[in-house]
Amino acid sequence: MAGRVSTLQRVRLALQVGVAAAALIAGVRLARGWSLAGVEKYCPFGGLETAWSFVTRRSFSCAAGELNLALFLALLGLTLVARKAFCSWVCPVGSVNEWIFRLVRRTGARLPLEPAPRTDRALRWLRLPVLGVILFFTWRTGELVFRGCDPYYILTSAHGHEVKLWSYAILAAVLALGVVVPMAWCRYLCPLGITLWPFSALGRLRLRHAVSRCTACAACSRACPHGIDVAGSTEVRSGECTLCLECTEACPAAGALELRLEGTKP
Amino acid sequence: MRVSPWVVPVLVIIAAVLGIGGARFLAAPSFTRDYAAAAGARVETVRFVVRGLKCVDTARQVAGQFADEPGVLRCVARASRNEAQVTYDAAVTGPQALRAAIEGPVVDEASGRIVFHQFEVRSIDGAAIR
Repeated sequence: MAGRVSTLQRVRLALQVGVAAAALIAGVRLARGWSLAGVEKYCPFGGLETAWSFVTRRSFSCAAGELNLALFLALLGLTLVARKAFCSWVCPVGSVNEWIFRLVRRTGARLPLEPAPRTDRALRWLRLPVLGVILFFTWRTGELVFRGCDPYYILTSAHGHEVKLWSYAILAAVLALGVVVPMAWCRYLCPLGITLWPFSALGRLRLRHAVSRCTACAACSRACPHGIDVAGSTEVRSGECTLCLECTEACPAAGALELRLEGTKP
Repeated sequence: MRVSPWVVPVLVIIAAVLGIGGARFLAAPSFTRDYAAAAGARVETVRFVVRGLKCVDTARQVAGQFADEPGVLRCVARASRNEAQVTYDAAVTGPQALRAAIEGPVVDEASGRIVFHQFEVRSIDGAAIR
């Protein structure tokens, strides 16, 4: 499979571009007054932000609504089966980070740098305080107070409400970080990523590594944008796997990596 | 069990459809204000889509626009749908009067200033306003 882009990866790219374009169009339409529906309505993280308000008061926080909550619940369901597939197939911020990762790698530069596994694991916990701070202040104030710092909102809202000059500085920093470390936002800062992580670890779709067919080239590990050691494990159990299937794409040995539904008979 | 990689995009699309379709079962208001009891009233309900109704604060403001409007029984504002659903006594008031109330000047509680053209009714009961 290595060497050329498969139809599956073309479909994934089409889905990523389609979702990012739809979000941008929604942002421009709202900004121009052609529509009343903003990009925030389609963000599943908004569902988590407003969940407390919905459960305790049967009302929503700020601009979040039932669509956010329903999308969040559907996302939890998806994650319990297909891991963090949302991150690599749908999320516009994940898509932009991935495109940066590919672009930088193609330049032949030494970037992006893959951190040492221990450092990588430690840095991933940064997402927890980010999530805690956002949820605490959102639940306390009933407002989406961090809207101006949200890369998704800054990217797609067409200079929307509460987007200031410093918001673009944050966005630029996030993108620049992605040049240095692959998928830096997703790995170390994304609050939705850490929310999904425990559910993803339980996800039933897993990549199985058939060691007998493996050529030990480690192309799969190098291809993984999230730095998962695919070659070094018989089964990818990491909650960080987004099922982007770049590893199976890069693998030169037929059948060495295959997708399996666990909990069913072989 | 070995599965085709195509199962991943299929599951993503199914989740999106379930999320969008399931939203209707989670509907809840951003703000509700009761004005008067309905005893003896000819009760009717009208639904306005309002530009500017986009968060809990603006939902509260829209609901507050009927404070001086006779015949209004209840206003349920939903920011997620840019929608205000008004229950009223049809013997006393009607949709056009209610629209005028929504589009009237708004007193900003924080600053005490009067703000004009904050809200604009885009449709009444699904019928777009030109």
